[in-house]
Amino acid sequence: MDPQMQQDLLKLFRSKLDRNMRLYLETCTRCGVCTEACHVYASLGQTRYLAAYRHELVRRIYKKYFKTRGKWWPSLGEAKELSAGALDELKEAAYSCTGCRRCMVYCPFGIDTQMILSIAKLLLIGAHTEPEILTMLADMSVAKGESLELFKESYKTGMKNLEAEVLKKWKSEAGRTAIPIDVPGADLLYVALAGAHSIVPAAAVFNAAKENWTQSFFEAVNFGAFVGDPLKTKLIMDRIVNEAKRLQVKEICICECGTAFRIMKQWAAKQPFKVSSITEVQARYLREGRIQLDHKTINGPVTYHDPCQIARNGGVIDEPRAILRQLANDFREMAPEPQYNWFCGGGGGLVALGEENLDFRMKSSRVKADQIKATGAKVLVTACENCHSQLNHLNDHYKLGVEVKFLSSLVADALVP
Amino acid sequence: MALIYYIILVPMVYAAFAVFFFGTAIRLLKLGLEPQRAPQMPIFPVRRPRLFWALYDTFLLPTVRRHNPVFWFFLMLFHLSFFLLIIGHLELIDDYRWIQIIPHEIFLGNGFIGFILSLCLLFFLFRRFVSPNRDLSIPEDYYLLILLFLTVLFGSQMDWARRWYEYGNLSITEYRNYLQSLLHFRPVLSPDLTEPGHSFLLVLHVFFANLLLIFFPFSQLMHGFLSFALNKLRRG
Repeated sequence: MDPQMQQDLLKLFRSKLDRNMRLYLETCTRCGVCTEACHVYASLGQTRYLAAYRHELVRRIYKKYFKTRGKWWPSLGEAKELSAGALDELKEAAYSCTGCRRCMVYCPFGIDTQMILSIAKLLLIGAHTEPEILTMLADMSVAKGESLELFKESYKTGMKNLEAEVLKKWKSEAGRTAIPIDVPGADLLYVALAGAHSIVPAAAVFNAAKENWTQSFFEAVNFGAFVGDPLKTKLIMDRIVNEAKRLQVKEICICECGTAFRIMKQWAAKQPFKVSSITEVQARYLREGRIQLDHKTINGPVTYHDPCQIARNGGVIDEPRAILRQLANDFREMAPEPQYNWFCGGGGGLVALGEENLDFRMKSSRVKADQIKATGAKVLVTACENCHSQLNHLNDHYKLGVEVKFLSSLVADALVP
Repeated sequence: MALIYYIILVPMVYAAFAVFFFGTAIRLLKLGLEPQRAPQMPIFPVRRPRLFWALYDTFLLPTVRRHNPVFWFFLMLFHLSFFLLIIGHLELIDDYRWIQIIPHEIFLGNGFIGFILSLCLLFFLFRRFVSPNRDLSIPEDYYLLILLFLTVLFGSQMDWARRWYEYGNLSITEYRNYLQSLLHFRPVLSPDLTEPGHSFLLVLHVFFANLLLIFFPFSQLMHGFLSFALNKLRRG
């Protein structure tokens, strides 16, 4: 690696060093308690997939360039030169970690592996060795935010075409638009994913609850976060924040997308609106009696997969259970405590990489497949797009024989007047 | 030999404590002054009061108890014994009524605290010889554990000699005179301290303890000070 490149990368490294990051980097005692935490290690049993081993790869470079001890006595802490070889190792570590933060539940100090590996992802971007597809997707999202006027009309037409499907699920009052767009003063701004499955059921439920809502022009997913680019993450997030401010909404409701929800909830900082997930909003409607569901519409055993960014990292744990207990007559928990639920194995941008890493995703999620199988469920419900795709792949690969469903679709299908 | 004894027992002790206090303070200060850019990203469900649960995580290590109960047993034993060891050393300096609420002989523990600590350290060391902990461990981890073990072993030997082998030539009085003289910056090494046959144990104990103190601020031993801050981050 040429010295200029190395200096540039070290500058990027330094940009990630705030108080929390230094605490994470300077405290690990390599006690090994996190050994059992990672689904990749639990499935494949290879040392390089241990949480502590992954962050040690970043820590070694940190010691070499940012700690005096690493300069004087590098062998003591195995401080390591930032080289092309080191970048290869970082890539393997960063893109085999799905950022589920299950290891944080195990670590006696609560070290955040995802946060540490965000350094690795940033270095890969700096060296132009990150997965190209993720950067392309992030760039497209950013470009869309910069040229809203260009696609506004076609988007509105697309939504108009979906309205008939919404009305099939719930007849709106006369004069009300089934999918309102760009409504100043609306109470709730719904941010969906591209695709009818993310828009139609949610719209039906909003209309059933007589919500004063409006649909966002932008899609929720934040590819900037997947690729680990803080600037693009913020740009993609800010499109929605600015839209919410322009429309003066009181609440942003994020669709079934774990990363989008967590980014908006935790990184949008203090805003004049609150951030909720669609699951929270639907559970609230049920609690307040704003929607009624046909009870026990799902026959047979049902289980719920907690999307990591929504449950363990986002705090939406009780709400999906409250909904499912109304819909299912045989609801079965997957893990005794939701924070210990195995991760699906598709997050952190892994699903977005497509066929490229399908084999790895399947092998590294064996424990998740076993967990699903052990419930004996016939219907597997989740509330995250990534999880849904990954669980479908697992269903095919491990022949689990389950039907994978979105929670919001089940709610929409069970609506009664 | 007298010169070596003097260097280890006097200037090196001052130097070690200076490095320990200033090094630790500077590191904590530097960390405290770092900007905090990332938002709070706790693990849910969040339990309240968060401060209480962060303290609970720090001192009772519930995650370790759940996932590795044997390791937890040794960790708790080690940290508890280490706390008692600090109290024991305080009593070697002076009498403290608050420590003697439960009357006991100085050094408390009847020799068993050092023994327990030694066993725990051997456990910590040997578990690193087994995969996957072996693959995670780096030289620093072994050096620190060996250094701790040697410090504890030679320190305990002095205690065991008095209590278990009835070797009374080095008593609490000699230690107290020495430590008081250091504390008041009028160091005195009396022949009663440096000439008995077991004096070399004291010198070795102090030597390894000095190394440990010097190494402390630059090592992961700092987890003793940083653990609470980290657990608070996790608790939100």
